[in-house]
Amino acid sequence: MTPAAAGAELRLATYAMGTRFELVIPGDESEQFRPAAEAAMEEIETAHRLFTPFEPDSWLNHLHRVAADRPVAVDADTFALFVDALAVWRASEGAFDPTVAPVLEAWGFHPAHGPSRGRFTSWAGAILLDPATRTIGFGREGLRLDFGGIAKGHALDLAARGLREHGVSAAFLHGGTSSAVGLGAPAGEAGWRVSLGPEHQAPVVVLHDSAVAVSGTLGRSAELGGRVFSHLIDPQAGRPLEGRGARRAAVVGCSARLADAWSTALLVLGAVPPSFPDDWLAWLGHEAGGWAAAPGPWSPVPDP
Amino acid sequence: MQRRTFVVQTAGSLAGIALLPDRSATGPRWLPEPKAVALVGVGRQGRAIVAELLKIDGAKLVALCDIHPARVKAGLERAAGIEGFQDHRSLLDKRRDLDAVIVATPTHLHPGIVTDALQAGRHVYCEAPLAHTLEDAKAIAAAAQRSNRIFMAGFQGRSNPVYQLARTFARTDAVRSLVSMYAQYHREASWRFPAANAVEDKTANWRLDPEVSLGLAGEVGAQQFDVVQWFKGGRPARITGRGAVLFHQDGRKVPDTVQADLVWPDHATLHFEATLANSFGGQHEVLHGVNGAIKLAWTHGWMFKEADAPTLGWEVYALRQQFHSDEGIILIAEATKLAAQGQLKAGVGLPYSPLYYALGDFLKSVTFPNVPVPCTAADGLRATALGILANRAIVTGETVEVPEF
Repeated sequence: MTPAAAGAELRLATYAMGTRFELVIPGDESEQFRPAAEAAMEEIETAHRLFTPFEPDSWLNHLHRVAADRPVAVDADTFALFVDALAVWRASEGAFDPTVAPVLEAWGFHPAHGPSRGRFTSWAGAILLDPATRTIGFGREGLRLDFGGIAKGHALDLAARGLREHGVSAAFLHGGTSSAVGLGAPAGEAGWRVSLGPEHQAPVVVLHDSAVAVSGTLGRSAELGGRVFSHLIDPQAGRPLEGRGARRAAVVGCSARLADAWSTALLVLGAVPPSFPDDWLAWLGHEAGGWAAAPGPWSPVPDP
Repeated sequence: MQRRTFVVQTAGSLAGIALLPDRSATGPRWLPEPKAVALVGVGRQGRAIVAELLKIDGAKLVALCDIHPARVKAGLERAAGIEGFQDHRSLLDKRRDLDAVIVATPTHLHPGIVTDALQAGRHVYCEAPLAHTLEDAKAIAAAAQRSNRIFMAGFQGRSNPVYQLARTFARTDAVRSLVSMYAQYHREASWRFPAANAVEDKTANWRLDPEVSLGLAGEVGAQQFDVVQWFKGGRPARITGRGAVLFHQDGRKVPDTVQADLVWPDHATLHFEATLANSFGGQHEVLHGVNGAIKLAWTHGWMFKEADAPTLGWEVYALRQQFHSDEGIILIAEATKLAAQGQLKAGVGLPYSPLYYALGDFLKSVTFPNVPVPCTAADGLRATALGILANRAIVTGETVEVPEF
């Protein structure tokens, strides 16, 4: 995805969640927003420290250590992340699943914390949310989470909210070019024009207070026995999606974290289920074969 | 792991040893009975404190206070079931159930809040540095010593299990005689916070107000000065320094790049440098001794032995890894047990933040008053004084003598 921006701008970037996050605020007066932009970048870095499975002192690993023994109190934003993650897990009938960490570990995409469980069975139902006390508990020992399919969008949502609160009316933020938020619009434009891929005829979406997420089976991968496997896990098969005939999915909606989760789900499903939000947009495609808008339920993936 | 793995060492390089403390010292903190805690100051550090308190079983955050209504509102989103205040006196009057107050306001506002909280009979954790003047820092220390309440200064190195372990090596033959020390704080940031208007800007951006700011040396470096002072024992004799605005040319007077040299009576020197223009290396300290060096980076630590330094018994249990151009050894306390469990790698890096351990230590002393805090009011005064005097040396360009505190 490439944002269209011209003229004076404030541009900041940071490395988090294994990728590069970037923020652009257009306009001659953009420098006045530097403190707000730095605060937005800090939101992203904080989200990284909370949700990375790779650092022992992350909040996620604290949760792994104690949540089976006692419920853990969390802030409102983290609680909302869990609510959304489980909502998409249910709505996608498990195609997006935040408990696939053991499969990622078994395939070498994740730090190993314990023995693999063998055949994957979702434990998402054992994540216990109590809105009254705003706590999260685990209904079973050994449950481990992976927010790789949703944390980038979550971080972008928090950063965009902070920009809005500090009076920024137009900005573009992305994480690794696979998740993005368009806040307002550049001067004279209807919104932020984002191409869904590098190819000439890739669809272009216009973001105006909305977000896009793209998932694909290319990117991080593992090779085993001459076959290439994606880092994206098919929870129903309990194994990574295979890279051959690489697929991709894109989602546009009002929330980057929901878009993130749904793009993963659509990629796994290969279609758009009836539970997909009515007012959102989706595209499905093959890396080699272009894209097809998938507004209707259960649109088939076009053959490459 | 094969025995021979431990003894291979790259010729011409130092052996780096990652310092890892006993895991029982690093595990989750919990309190046998809930303690009611209030937080005063809900800026960035205050928000970090809320996040860490939520992880401590039994730490019951019941109220928070900030002069900015928006910060109170945002703070209330971070923990369920808490009450918000805009004035700390109202908080102390109304919440008679408080066991402890944590003060994380701008530095120059600490004294009034700390003394009011102590007078109200509350235990107090005060963020570092204690104050922006020597007089105020002394007043806080005196008030803490007069009270019969627990008082802890928030110099986190003293609660950090990695630093506690490293200190044992720094003070024994493993490192022996610190001859040269280095500390840095490198970050690419403006140090400016968003503010809706000029009044809010004045309170939000106090770090850029030369009237009240201790600059990079006082606000950040003091934490590192405390570590070195604690490791080395005794205070430096004098401080020189320099600084300038080299990058953020936005009219500020507080330097964005500084250096200071703290010279001990034996002429061993801590060279400190900080900048807001470049993030390379982040925040860390390197302590050089006769037999080895220690690098500390807050959640991790390594020791680098000289080739002719005495061999230490624990080395046989250490994991090795490549560390820059040297082959490093990861040290893990309880390595025998962990090795038997096949979990040597599980312990690399602290499982919680340094702030978590500091707050955990404070609440432990609140629960068990006979357990001393790791950083007393007197310790806090001495560390704060180094920050104040280093900033003075940087701002004036003069050599500053360090008196006894």
